[in-house]
Amino acid sequence: MSSNKIVLTSSDGESFEVEEVVARKLQIVGHMLEDDCVINEIPLQNVTGDILSMVIEYCKTHVDEEESEEAQTKLKTWDEEFMKKFDIKTLLQIILAANYLNVKGLLDLVSQTIADTIKDYTPEQIREVFGVENDYTEEEEAEVRKENAWAFDEADTPKP
Amino acid sequence: MITSLPDDIIVDILAHVSRWDYPTLSLVSKHFRSLVSSSELYARRSLLGYTEACIYSVLFNYDTERFHLYVLRRRLKRNNNSCYFVLIESLPPMPSNVSFVSIGSKIYVLSGDSSTTPYSIDCRSHIVQPYSRIPHGSKAIQIVDVIDKKIYVMGKCDHDDAKKVMLVFNTETQRWEPEMTTKPSLELRRFWFERVVIADKMYVRDYHYSQESFVYEPKEDKWELDEMLNSNKWYRGCVLDDLLYYYDPFENKLRAYDPKHRCWKVVKGLEEFLPHIAFPWSDTVSYGWKLAVFFITCENWVIRREIWCAEISIERRQGEIWGKVESYDVVFSWKFSYNKTLAVMV
Repeated sequence: MSSNKIVLTSSDGESFEVEEVVARKLQIVGHMLEDDCVINEIPLQNVTGDILSMVIEYCKTHVDEEESEEAQTKLKTWDEEFMKKFDIKTLLQIILAANYLNVKGLLDLVSQTIADTIKDYTPEQIREVFGVENDYTEEEEAEVRKENAWAFDEADTPKP
Repeated sequence: MITSLPDDIIVDILAHVSRWDYPTLSLVSKHFRSLVSSSELYARRSLLGYTEACIYSVLFNYDTERFHLYVLRRRLKRNNNSCYFVLIESLPPMPSNVSFVSIGSKIYVLSGDSSTTPYSIDCRSHIVQPYSRIPHGSKAIQIVDVIDKKIYVMGKCDHDDAKKVMLVFNTETQRWEPEMTTKPSLELRRFWFERVVIADKMYVRDYHYSQESFVYEPKEDKWELDEMLNSNKWYRGCVLDDLLYYYDPFENKLRAYDPKHRCWKVVKGLEEFLPHIAFPWSDTVSYGWKLAVFFITCENWVIRREIWCAEISIERRQGEIWGKVESYDVVFSWKFSYNKTLAVMV
């Protein structure tokens, strides 16, 4: 494997020197390298240094994806521990970065982590996380509740 | 706070959430509600392989004196795996004499009563949509089963009630096939009750005559008697990995039939579990690598009292079939009569 070094620069001017194989895990970088093979410094406009460092940490760990069951289990455990480090706000920034940098595995991992976190949230908590306003009137909200009554806890007592 | 998460990222996150949490997500905002019901979300779920099996049942309620659709709901939020049937209140009552099948996320409903227009229920939204009545002036009697997204319906010729025909509704084009695929035959005159589809062939058993089991191949319009299948009085069966499963209440066994090798097997590992009380009625439904067996207790011949559900995971090892009971609960307890339970993929 090539041991070329690539320098990735974040929007706030932080630079990270990584091996080309690691940089290629960021598909956005992969495409740039295919277009022009002499680049060795890549500016990444839409991601800050603190977030980029986490993405790079993920890519370094996932650089050799071995097929063996043991390696897969080890990676899975690492992924779980890695995700535990972040609060929901940071996770949302990582998912934006993973989307922009096009790191498929990370995108999937963070989506699942956010999904597992918000599944027990109330609508109010979800609004807060996603910065969304409640634009329902009371009547409209009651209507949506009624339509979905089968899924809410009020339906806990089996009724005829 | 991030206010501008692009929709495709939100859809990606929502695709990883269980559909049981979608109602809460619809309450977030109107935009979230539209994302939760978008076809993009369901396409993403299916691409990721996160489609979930949901179990629906049609039950006749003696308080309302109508048939209603119920869904088997898990008490997810209480960290408790037990489940029960919940009425879907937003849906109108179902017509009587109803027969129904599931294809993907939809339940197709057809009533033997010709004044009722056939309709489908999209289980993602519980929205009802009519589909067209049967052409050729024929009368539908009941849905037989589904092969390759086509619904096979038994019908009567309008000019000759004794003549039965098979009519086909193509769910992809949402049209009835112009021609009847099956000519009236002796087998079609039988009163079928049990039917399953395995590897594009239909297995039917009639109650009326000699309780014989037939195999029907629609492509060639060919009927064949299957004597081995016949050797057990299978009923309310379901199909998992090309095997037919049913619960035999007389011997208290879960049996499986392999049509390829024409042999019956008993599912092992369930000896200690299978019910302590003899249940006179049962039903089975399959989803993923699991079976749900519903045991029904009754008050008299018609009225039922309780439905018990056993979720059994199935494993095939060295020619043997092993089952493991994952849960066993009362899932309904009220006066009702029972139609059929279905798994729908949402």
